[in-house]
This record gives sequence, structure tokens and C-alpha cells, in this order.
Amino acid sequence: MNRKNFVSSILAAGAAIPALGYAVDEQPENAAVIPAYLKAGDIVGITSPAGYITLKEIQPAIQQIESWGLKVKIGSTIGKRDFTFGGTDAERVADFQQMIDDTTVKAILSARGGYGFVRIVDQLNFSKLKTQPKWMIGFSDITVLHSHLNRNFGIASIHSKMCNSFPDDWSKAEPIQIETILSIRDAITGVQMKYNTTPNEKNKKGITTGILVGGNLKTLESLAGSKSDLRTTNKILFVEDTGEYLYSIDRMFWNLKRSGKLDHLAGLIIGGFKIKASEDAAEEFGKDLYEIILEKIKDCNYPVCFDFPVGHQKNNYALKCGVKHQLQVSTVECTLTEIK
Amino acid sequence: MIKLPPYLKKGDTIGITLPAGYMAKEKAQTCIDTLQGWGYEVLIGKTFSSKSKTYFSGTDEERLNEFQAMLDEPGIKAILCGRGGYGIGRIIDQLDFTAFKKNPKWIIGFSDVSVLHAHINRNYKIATLHAPMAAAFNEGGYKNKYLHSLKDALQGKKANYSCKPHRLNHPGKVTAELVGGNLALLAHLIGTKSDLQTKGKILFVEDIDEQHYNIDRMMHQLKRSGKFDALAGLIIGGFSDMQDTERPFGKKVYDLIHELIAVYNYPICFGFPVSHDKENVALKVGGIYTLSITPRTVILKER
Repeated sequence: MNRKNFVSSILAAGAAIPALGYAVDEQPENAAVIPAYLKAGDIVGITSPAGYITLKEIQPAIQQIESWGLKVKIGSTIGKRDFTFGGTDAERVADFQQMIDDTTVKAILSARGGYGFVRIVDQLNFSKLKTQPKWMIGFSDITVLHSHLNRNFGIASIHSKMCNSFPDDWSKAEPIQIETILSIRDAITGVQMKYNTTPNEKNKKGITTGILVGGNLKTLESLAGSKSDLRTTNKILFVEDTGEYLYSIDRMFWNLKRSGKLDHLAGLIIGGFKIKASEDAAEEFGKDLYEIILEKIKDCNYPVCFDFPVGHQKNNYALKCGVKHQLQVSTVECTLTEIK
Repeated sequence: MIKLPPYLKKGDTIGITLPAGYMAKEKAQTCIDTLQGWGYEVLIGKTFSSKSKTYFSGTDEERLNEFQAMLDEPGIKAILCGRGGYGIGRIIDQLDFTAFKKNPKWIIGFSDVSVLHAHINRNYKIATLHAPMAAAFNEGGYKNKYLHSLKDALQGKKANYSCKPHRLNHPGKVTAELVGGNLALLAHLIGTKSDLQTKGKILFVEDIDEQHYNIDRMMHQLKRSGKFDALAGLIIGGFSDMQDTERPFGKKVYDLIHELIAVYNYPICFGFPVSHDKENVALKVGGIYTLSITPRTVILKER
């Protein structure tokens, strides 16, 4: 969709939302606005919208990104600290805002997650982004941004590792570290993305296409009811999480189910789930992750893929949120392919 | 208008069940004895003698069937949840409230039971009782004023609570319907058909064992989903056993909450005795109360 149509669809939806249900198809989240891919010499801005990080800690990321022929602009929040945050809310807003507004910055990489994006999202002015979309990169707490962009503007973004996951010494990095970091380069430079995973016997077979959306499950749940709340109808949803108890994961999937987010998916992708063990052995939850998820979708027919390489783990590949993909799940393989 | 279930008379039966986490029957004995001492018959659900080896007091089906039977049995005038934990969200959509709507009865508990309070308030406009559960009767608890407030509530005595002033309070006086419960559960229900509606109401929240950042995130969720916008008043209860991350959040829980709600002009009080600690008075979710906050006093008086 070109920019003109995109703008008119926003206006049409905005005018119709208060009263008319049929405006749903006009929602910008389905508009799939793809920012321009990066070329040699383009600038990637690095900022800390959530947790704090030092300039030293992002050096490996800077070196690697420069080795791709890109330039780096270091935001004012790098090295700033306000307790757990990369600066005060006002400082983080100001840095992120100037990255949005600076037309020479072609992509904004969040240095790390942690917690804090939701504290600033309503203070950010995205109007410049609507006319000049650029790639936003990150995951975990940055799920707030992915979800907000998809829901409100239909702008594609990249769910991937951040500066704190770039290996210190590239020459000693494991192949999976190199591959996943290079997948960020591929994603922002316009390479068609394709992923293969080994099949899991719990998968539900099928072929489907839809806009890919998702992120950290806890973060997605915490956006329910807000204007960043993700809509999932006819989309391929991926979720991952870390450090949660099984009961909490169960509760979060109930929220997705009970708020209708699992009913009309095109497909479901389950990434890594690092489960926090129950402190009291007598208090075993009694259901594993597969049971927890599959019982919620027993009446749904879309394909489901477990063990997808996305999450708080080494095998965390760059995924293009807000972009159409094909998900193919069979007994021999599971593939996710970007549709160009 | 919210419907109040009939208050209890001597000889009425209270059903006690475990819709969520497991609890050994011995731990509920003082509660059972006390309820009998108050003049009620107590019907003890089979979930108290469950062979469950898991977190839950029984399978979903067992917990559901028992709660359903207690909802449907006209001889049971109140249902006390023995404990919370986690699990009502797993059975709430399968519960049939048809008989309950015709013959409302008091549903009592807190924590995970917030799911029932919110669901019933949202869908059926029938009052429920946010109050201490079985474990609170132990270690002499049955003699304290908080358990006494439950006794009074069951008998239909109107509540009149007060608490200490707090530096962060917003003074004011308002009369409105009271709703609320556990913050994590209220946040979790947003977007579902049990989602609590708060417009024009006095909202109370409490929580336990959460990270500071998570309280902040949940409060942001309530704020961003509009739950605070049109409140009549806000009651911040206890936030017990709060955790902090290795890199500290940098604000105390009440301060971080206050920062988020400072923009609102309605009466707000902090440190109200509704919590996972001993300080936990019986509150009618759906009841009409007057909240009156001055620099020297905080009073919550039932109409």
C-alpha cells in the first residue's frame, strides 16, 4: 500500500471507529507499511528506552553494525542511568523522540529491554513516523513498541536481539550467535526472511498466510485494554516468555483466550519459554506448556508450531512484525517465509 | 442497581470450597469451628479431602462441579472460598450463574477470588464479599477485628471502617459503589468478559509478592485502559512482600503508584486495611459506601 492510501485509510478508520463496527477492516494494523530498507552508509540510531546500558556494553554492537557498512548514531540515553532505567522518563522520551524525528536515522535499535517502554509510549509523538516510517528493532520490553506500531499505524518493525546480545568477540562467537545477529542485518537490508525449525510432535499441521505479530507474552497481556493492545484476527501470532511460573503462563494464555485473541488467528507460533520452577515441589502445576496452550485452542483449526527459534535464548532470529508471512507446518518440517 | 444477597440468620448454612489452590482440611478447622460458633451450619466441600498431588485442590472438573453445586443448592446461603492461589480463571467460563441470579447468595474470599468478584459485578450486578478466607482464622486470627468485620457483614451490620491518614492521600468525600480486588487479577481480566467496569465507582486494589516494576506495569495497564479516568474514589490497600530487582526500581511502591494517579482529583487513600496481611476488612464488592478523607482521618462507611 502506498503512503497516500495508507493515510486515507487512517482517516477513514478514525472517522468510523466511534460508531461503526464495519470499520474494523480499515484498521491501520492491516495496512502493512514497510519502512525503507537500509543501504550502505545509512544510520542506525541506538537508544535506551527501558533499562540502562553503558557505552562500553554496546561497543560490540557498534562495531558489528559498522562492519555491515552502516553508520551508528549513539543516543543520549546510552550511559545514562536512573535506577533501573536508561535515564528518567523525560530523558528516555527525548532521546527516542529525536531518533524518530531525525530524518537521517533510518532504523532505531533499542540497546536492551528490561522494563520501561510502557512508561513513555504515550508521550512519544509518532506523527513523523507516519510519513517517514523507519525500522524499530528490539524485543522483550520493546514488544510494547511493536504492538503499538502495529495496532495504531500498521508500521512493520523488527523483533530481534538487541545490543546486549552481540558477542564481545565475534571471532569466538558460536555459529548460532553469528547467524542470529546477521539475521538482523538481513532483516533491515531487505533480504527475504525464511526460517526452518525441526518439527515437534505437538505441532498442528497446516499452511497459512497472515501478517506476523507478537512478542513477549507477559508484555502483550499487560497491553490488554490499552490503545497499544494487539489485534490478532487473521494474523500469525508468535509469543515467547522467560522466568514465569507455569501457573502464570496458564493465566496469560487464559487472558488471550478470554479476550478473543486466539479465536481467529491465521496461525500460532510458540517460541522459547523459560519456565520458573515452583519453589514448593508439592505445588506442581500438573500440566506442561503443551497442555496449557493446546487446551486453550482445542476448537481452533489453524497451524501451530512449537519450539520456534524466538525468545530469551541464543536462537532468537530477527522476525518482521507487521509483514505478511507464510507458515507451513508439516510432519517433516516447519517453515516461516516472508511474502514479498 | 446492585442486588444484595440476603444476610445470614442463625442456623443458615455456609458452604466452604476450594475453587483454586490446594489446602489441607486441618488448616481450615479453626475457620469451620468459628463459623459454627457464630451460629452457622458449615458444609465442607469434597475439595478439602482431595487426593490432588498438584497445585490445585482437584481437577478443573472437580472444582467446577463443587462450586456449581454450591451455587445451585438453595440450602446454602453463602459460599466461602477456603483459599485463593490460582485456578478460578480456569473454570469461570464454565460456571452457570442462572440459579445464583434468581437466588443470590454471598460469595466470600479475596486474592484469586477477585475473578469471581469482578465477573459477578460485571455480568450480574450482585454484591459479593471481599473478605478473609480460612487461613486468616488460624493463629488467633478468629478473634481479631478483621474476622469480626466478616461476621458483621454476614449478619447485615453496616460497616464503618477507619484508617490512619497517609502523606499521599487526596482529601475529599464521595458516595459510590465499591469495586476492586487483587491488582494482578484485575489487570489480567482486562479485555475479557469478566473485565471490571470502574466508571463512577470507588476502586480498591491490593497485591502481594510482586516486583516493583510489575506493579508499575500493572498500574500503567489500568491507567492506559481507562480504569482510573472516571473513578469516584480510589483506595490503595496493602502491597505486601514486595520484591525489587537487582537494579532497584528507585521508588517505593506507594510512591510509584501515587506518581501515576497524582493527576486525578477524586479522593484517594493509601494504606487502607485490605491486603494479604492480617489487616483485611470485609468489603462488599457492589456495596454503596461513603469514602471520606481528610488530612486527619480516613473513613469508609457503608450506606
